Amino acid sequence: MKKKKIIILSLLVLMILISITGCSSDTVEQDNEKIKVYTSFYPMYDFTSKIGGDKISVYNMVPSGTEPHDWEPAASDIVNLEKADLFVYNGAGMEHWVENVLSTLENKDLVVVEASQGIELLGSEDHHDHDHDHDHYHGEFDAHVWTDPLNVKIEMENIMKGLIQIDPYNQEYYEENYEKYSEELDILHEEFEGTISNLTNRDIVVSHMAFSYMSHAYGLNQISIDGLTPDSEPNPGRMAEIIDFVKDNNIKVIFFEELASPKIADAIANETDAVVDVLNPIEGLSDEELENGDDYFSVMRKNLEALSSALE
Amino acid sequence: MEIFQYAFMQKAFVVGIMLAVIIPCIGIVVVLKRLSMIGDALSHTSLAGIAAGLIMGVNPVLGAILLCIIAAFGIEFIRKKIPKYSEMSIAIIMSAGIGLAGVLSGFVKNTANFNSFLFGSIVAISDFEMYLVAGISFFVLLAFIFLYKELFYVSMDERSARLAGIPVNTVNFIFTILTAITVSIAARTVGALIVSSLMVVPVACGMQFGKSYKQTVIYSIISAVIFTVVGLFVSYYRELKPGGTIVLVGVMTLLFIILTKRIMGKSLS
Repeated sequence: MKKKKIIILSLLVLMILISITGCSSDTVEQDNEKIKVYTSFYPMYDFTSKIGGDKISVYNMVPSGTEPHDWEPAASDIVNLEKADLFVYNGAGMEHWVENVLSTLENKDLVVVEASQGIELLGSEDHHDHDHDHDHYHGEFDAHVWTDPLNVKIEMENIMKGLIQIDPYNQEYYEENYEKYSEELDILHEEFEGTISNLTNRDIVVSHMAFSYMSHAYGLNQISIDGLTPDSEPNPGRMAEIIDFVKDNNIKVIFFEELASPKIADAIANETDAVVDVLNPIEGLSDEELENGDDYFSVMRKNLEALSSALE
Repeated sequence: MEIFQYAFMQKAFVVGIMLAVIIPCIGIVVVLKRLSMIGDALSHTSLAGIAAGLIMGVNPVLGAILLCIIAAFGIEFIRKKIPKYSEMSIAIIMSAGIGLAGVLSGFVKNTANFNSFLFGSIVAISDFEMYLVAGISFFVLLAFIFLYKELFYVSMDERSARLAGIPVNTVNFIFTILTAITVSIAARTVGALIVSSLMVVPVACGMQFGKSYKQTVIYSIISAVIFTVVGLFVSYYRELKPGGTIVLVGVMTLLFIILTKRIMGKSLS
């Protein structure tokens, strides 16, 4: 009887061991040729790929279709970071896990780039003046700096500097890429400025405060249903306020984002004449979008189209 | 009144009151069976069901209901195996549910979808959800009225219920399914917090006043409705999160009742 128990127990232990070792095989294969760069989430991935071109291999940590606010790295991500050359993250509070992860790493050669460095951070209060002050947002910054194309130039410059630090040999190549995309960002910026300055309405209702930089740059007025992260429960008083605002100002579109639940936006649109539409804060792209070859520029242009049809 | 001019608040009141009537009905049986935490266990398990549904391409709500039913029977099963520690069955199923949800959610490609099912809020209820809640409320109420005596016996003492000729297994079977369906749907609609607290807090209040089973049921329902209505009013005018407000109103009322009863009791003696 006792023997039987021991056999069963040891079988169990064996099974657990096998399943653990089975899992470890999905770490990234060694590729000695190229520089290994890890990026925290999609915009960082996109910008880094654009600067690094074919000189680097870039791995995105937050998988496609995942909302980065509530993502946390798995053990395999940490293992991969130990082998990486460069790690790019946005900063400004977007990746709450970065500090903890970096302090545990033993990889002394890892170069870390905080892409948002040098960008003037905006507070997250919305410009919608009502008599209550929402002081629970106070002291926090909006981390979505990339919603203003000119900020992306700064982020790309930071990334370029990081790459040059590791790989001075290809400095010219990185600088060329930076120049190229810097010009494209200027074009995008002009498109935004040109289109939005012709629009009559300036109020956008969005599901979470992700567009402070875009609003600041182009004179939009962002009214957000809830705070800095999507998918938190809104309070009914705030919802009523927004419904009144939508009715009073004749707002035609309530924006929600692809990676979060549209429930709240739907509830507000139901009550008013407004419809719902997507305004993408580009926190991540879905598999479908990636297959279609979408990137930062194409999604921003889609956003501009959505804005111009909403604010006409 | 200003608060009622918004459709979302009207829906919140309608759905909230419906749930405040049926959840304590289930709650009183659950409490008497020493299974107070079943609401938490099942709502966590339903997350795993949603993830499973999304991965397999089945309707996630259906996945949630199915897995909830399985979990509820799992609780029944373990409870019968270890009758002395029936609350253990809940702890086991709850951790299994959370674990499963955690692992499965890693496989869900589109989290937007996942979030929209995870996320329930009493102030953002779609028409479809409202009809679903109305349907399930009707069935639960019907079952509760028809099986009133049976449920009473079963929840008090299963052995004597069996001796009195009550089909204990059938009654338990129906009740388990009703509980599972109610929790999985209500948790998606108004959030798990409201569901698990309405199952217990109003019953605790009802027990303070009720001198019989019937009275306790009635007082429980009345307190649940009061908590929901007051909670919604407070959260609207004070700009607070509705789920938490409803729960806190309930718990504070219970504390108040217990304290005043003590003071009154002392002054009488």
